[in-house]
Amino acid sequence: MADGSKTKTFIVTRFDPDRHEAPTTETYEVPVRERWKVLDALNYIKDELDPTLSHRWSCRMAVCGSCGMNVNGEPKLTCKTSLAEYGDTVRVEPLANFPVVRDLVVELDGFMDKFRAVKPWIIKAKERAVEEGPHRQSPEELEVFRQFSMCINCMLCYAACPVVANEPEFLGPAAIALGHRYNEDSRDEGARERNRIFRGEGTIFSCSYANECSEVCPKHVDPAAAINQAKFRAVLDWAASFVTSGPREE
Amino acid sequence: MARMAHPQAMQPARPPRTRTARPKAPDYLRPRMLSYLLFDATGIVYLLAGLVVLRAVFALASGPAAWQAFVADLHHPGYVAFHLLTFVSAVFVGVRFFRLFPKAQPARIGPLRPPPRPLIHAMLYAVWIAVTAFVVAAMVGVIP
Repeated sequence: MADGSKTKTFIVTRFDPDRHEAPTTETYEVPVRERWKVLDALNYIKDELDPTLSHRWSCRMAVCGSCGMNVNGEPKLTCKTSLAEYGDTVRVEPLANFPVVRDLVVELDGFMDKFRAVKPWIIKAKERAVEEGPHRQSPEELEVFRQFSMCINCMLCYAACPVVANEPEFLGPAAIALGHRYNEDSRDEGARERNRIFRGEGTIFSCSYANECSEVCPKHVDPAAAINQAKFRAVLDWAASFVTSGPREE
Repeated sequence: MARMAHPQAMQPARPPRTRTARPKAPDYLRPRMLSYLLFDATGIVYLLAGLVVLRAVFALASGPAAWQAFVADLHHPGYVAFHLLTFVSAVFVGVRFFRLFPKAQPARIGPLRPPPRPLIHAMLYAVWIAVTAFVVAAMVGVIP
């Protein structure tokens, strides 16, 4: 085209709970520009072709984690995914493994519950007096868990995980990585509590190390590494409970 | 006489849950996912290889004639193909395991830190090559 755009065909999942029994698809022809991301095309569809299309997005800079969708079968942050990676036809679907609220928007309730379950906050054995000052942490101590604190909760790892698909109650990659991040934090004293949760049903030992979560993670958090390191820690913690004082672990 | 109000009549209305569409499964036909499924499928190969080992043990317990018959069976093209498949499966699983093993190591155990990941990789492959060389040497009779 004269204005430097090229037309691509977008096959987009549509679902209106008031009208559809199950999701359907709709096809749009979009004149895409050279540097467009998938999100730009979706916004073009919404603004110019079909204002009824629903999709989530916010920051456009891979920070908020809102715009995760399946693009040609692979979970992607649509604001970070260049259209140049794809051919003439691009299929955009809601994230797999999540119930669909409308079109490309998925339900987050279960996901947020899983986050709360791992107690993602610093737990102290006893209150620290203000006079004691801040709890300092060295760069080396920070480096141990820094990678796992980069998660933006975009849910791509859940959409990619074959275990979540078969076992929906599985705590899942992001939540376990977050729990492990606190277990590795030198300021935290709640590892024993979290490890007790981690040794329960549908948690770390349900992971079969498919590594898909790490492959699709746009922030290189590497949740698969976190889960498998957490397995080691949880077992060590269980074994230690036999030789140290305190309540025996079940 | 006025009807009694329902005890919960004044509680705020709770909007009904939105009907949602069922979650879709991930795309299992993506190359990485196919590779993972293949990895899982190697479990069947190992199960069958285990049965062959059991047959070998029973043959050994049943005397020299049974053992000779078992060894003769191993020359059948079906057995040869199966052992080739087992070998490929073992290499595939080994390479995958070696790729993923280093990052599963805890960042620290007390004051101890694991060696750098490339070094763990190198050590795993070195041990693998050494063990393979030892087994091959034993099989060809270099090691009595």
